[in-house]
Amino acid sequence: MKNPIKKIFDDTEHLFTGDGKYKKYEPVWDATKTFFFLPSPKTKIMPFVRDSLDLKRYMSIVILSLIPVTLFGIFNTGYQAGLASGEEYSLLKCFLVGSWYVLPLIIVSYGVGFIWEFIFAIFRGHKISEGFLVTGLLFPLTLPPTMPLWQAALGISFGVVIGKEIFGGTGRNILNPALTGRAFVYFSYPVSMSGDIWIAGNNLVDGVTGATALAVTGFEGQAIGSALFEAGFSMWNLFIGFVPGSVGETSALCCLIGAAILIVTRIGNYRIIAGGIAGVIVTSILVYLIPGGKETWANAGPLYHLFAGGFLFGITFMATEPVSAPGTNLGRWIYGGAIGFLTVIIRVANPAFMEGVMLSILFMNVFAPLLDHMVLKYKSSKRIPNV
Amino acid sequence: MPFSLDNRAQVPKLNVSALLVGLDITSGFGKIVVLVIYRMSGTVRQFTRLIKYGFESMEKIELARGFTPKVTGLPDYTSVRLPFPPTLGCSAGDIPFIRPKLLVKEGEFVKTGAPLFTDKRDTSIQYVSPGTGKVKQILFGERRRLLEVIIAPEQIDDFIEFEPVTTNQLLDIPKPDLVDRLKTGGLWQGLRQFPALDTADPDHTPAMIIVSMNGNDLFSPHPAKVLENNFEAFDAGMTVLRRFSHRIVVTARQSSVKRIRKLNNTIAEQITHITDDQYPAWNPGAVLYRLKQTQADNASWCISLEHLIMIGNFLLKGKYPVEKMVSLTRSGDKRPHLISRQGVPLMTISGTVPKDSLVTTGQFNGRILDPYSHLGFFENTINIIDEGKGEEMFGFVRPGFKKPTVSSTFLSSLFKPSVTLDCTLHGEERACINCSYCERICPNDMMPSFIMKALHSDEVEEALSLGMLDCCQCGLCSYTCPSKIELAKTLADGMDAHYKDKQ
Repeated sequence: MKNPIKKIFDDTEHLFTGDGKYKKYEPVWDATKTFFFLPSPKTKIMPFVRDSLDLKRYMSIVILSLIPVTLFGIFNTGYQAGLASGEEYSLLKCFLVGSWYVLPLIIVSYGVGFIWEFIFAIFRGHKISEGFLVTGLLFPLTLPPTMPLWQAALGISFGVVIGKEIFGGTGRNILNPALTGRAFVYFSYPVSMSGDIWIAGNNLVDGVTGATALAVTGFEGQAIGSALFEAGFSMWNLFIGFVPGSVGETSALCCLIGAAILIVTRIGNYRIIAGGIAGVIVTSILVYLIPGGKETWANAGPLYHLFAGGFLFGITFMATEPVSAPGTNLGRWIYGGAIGFLTVIIRVANPAFMEGVMLSILFMNVFAPLLDHMVLKYKSSKRIPNV
Repeated sequence: MPFSLDNRAQVPKLNVSALLVGLDITSGFGKIVVLVIYRMSGTVRQFTRLIKYGFESMEKIELARGFTPKVTGLPDYTSVRLPFPPTLGCSAGDIPFIRPKLLVKEGEFVKTGAPLFTDKRDTSIQYVSPGTGKVKQILFGERRRLLEVIIAPEQIDDFIEFEPVTTNQLLDIPKPDLVDRLKTGGLWQGLRQFPALDTADPDHTPAMIIVSMNGNDLFSPHPAKVLENNFEAFDAGMTVLRRFSHRIVVTARQSSVKRIRKLNNTIAEQITHITDDQYPAWNPGAVLYRLKQTQADNASWCISLEHLIMIGNFLLKGKYPVEKMVSLTRSGDKRPHLISRQGVPLMTISGTVPKDSLVTTGQFNGRILDPYSHLGFFENTINIIDEGKGEEMFGFVRPGFKKPTVSSTFLSSLFKPSVTLDCTLHGEERACINCSYCERICPNDMMPSFIMKALHSDEVEEALSLGMLDCCQCGLCSYTCPSKIELAKTLADGMDAHYKDKQ
């Protein structure tokens, strides 16, 4: 028996291809069809056999690795709202309340982003690339749950159009599109992106500040560690993720699970992740050894720097985006290390920005081609010339 | 609270001497550990080599990268003689760079070994008739490019005869005479010159000549099968090669060595390098990349075992050798080797081919054969590649227990089952996402994606400095690309354009 969904596509094919009535909308039809049925045209050029891995599979593995952070982000949004209102929510209620805040963000991000993708694909007449599947989920995970939806829509529009499509679409972008979108809202709507906005819910009880761990500093003479502990940011809480913050970034554990999936399937490059973590550890130890500043983040040590804020989220899911990262292995080590280094430096030395991951990744995105260029020059010099 | 930095407030912040002592102790321990691990890894490596190769004296060529999935379709070691074919053809489609010039007309009668066409670039090189009979048809392709000269053969060959020589005489024939004889005999073109693999230039003295016992495909005929009854010819061929270069490298796949040794120990002793069994370790380009030391090595020569034996037979008997060993493979099958003739039509070898399948002369780097085409001089493998399952529903989220892949994104990479390759792309072409899968699989340490980008922006110098000419055309970069970019074709076109430019 013929597959009924297959039949729908077979029946509508003449409308969208060739001289069909809706030929203009072929990319949309094609994207829908290839979502259901993996396209498998015959090979015409050597080699005649090809690997089973394609970009759809590639991107779905990234989505798979994002599932733990997404689920935990939804749960934690509800959990934090419960804490803030002074109630103890059940697990189910945490998820329900969290979904109420987070799902609209995800839906808006995917909806608006795909509309842009479709518009560009229709006008350019090319197929729709799978890259946006990941961008559309990554972007809302970097936002606070209280983000107004129209701002999220503007952000993803900026990310897709300016961050990606004007360069030519997936594969040609210089910057990570999701982070470009986040940087746009970060600088355009600072009120929605900084300060005490990280907890969803209306009736916050007294004494709940709703700030992230990175905003904490100790009073004169108090070590940053104890100041964090008093504010509810114990190492354990930061590691598991029961703290306020952007939707996806709070749980170091879930980010590490995602990193493990990416590394085992070799979709994300371990060099970037390992380089980044090494960069944070080395830099935070160096900063710690500089005398003074006991009550600030300069004195927090490597573990707090790793688990607090969005570093692990950024290095796992944003920095490993292959297009905007270097394409050489040595370049990837340097790139990761520099992201770790810059993250800590921005956190410690720049009072205007509490969080440095986004800026350091975007900054290193710009330098990725230069890193590649230098590594390629070096590697070429090692070859026996053949001209 | 498992960890806190609270207590550190009491200790002095920078105790340099303590730190240095600590560093010293740790680094001392570290050194010992590293040393022990290093020593152990050496022993383990030697041990695994011993298990893998036994006590063979030849040098080994190991490949860190390559094609890993287990594929079915290896031909049986038995052999079958095919019936006399209804037509014979001399194909020009598989000859690189040739600008053919016809020497015969349709309806003309030709003897076996008579020249059919030549190369306009060097008219002393001749492509000769694989049989005796009338020229039935001359096939042209697009832009009147010669495809094949087809002959209606007679059962009994009438050879163009040359004076036979003995192996000893081969040492004394003047070199120009030897070259001349091979050229008129239609066999000189068996010798190919790197990097573009054009016909070897007889005025050039190559730094080495690589003899590949195994063919271009995973399942090319077994060298022991090709060598059967041809020991003398092999020796004669090797004698000829020694006239042209001081260094003769003979390579064989590790899995082939045992049978060669069983067949003829003296020939097995002449194998200088055993290669890994992983495709494409035995590809002459990959071998050259492992062996080359200086820039002069770049213009080495290579020859396949089949052509070496043909040269030997031709010189010893004075007649064009028409016999050819062919392997026919299809995933899941185990077919015998086939003994047939040069220029045999595909129909005689494979019979009717299933619809929707692709027939190629090498799964990774051959060409597509039409149902009515004839096997070329450089081809001895025929793969029937089936179309497979076609458009799978939700193919991108399936677990994939039996998917052929070199990535780790399907469960088959965990269990490593025998898999079936099919002739579809498994996806659609997309822009390069810089994933480095091509770099990860390239046997010659190249970065195909960067070379592709350099070629697209006409930066030929950049492409050359990245090692474009080291490409051995194994096709694995295109095989592995998740964006389904035709990397191997782009590189091949770049190499060809550069080579033609230089001429």
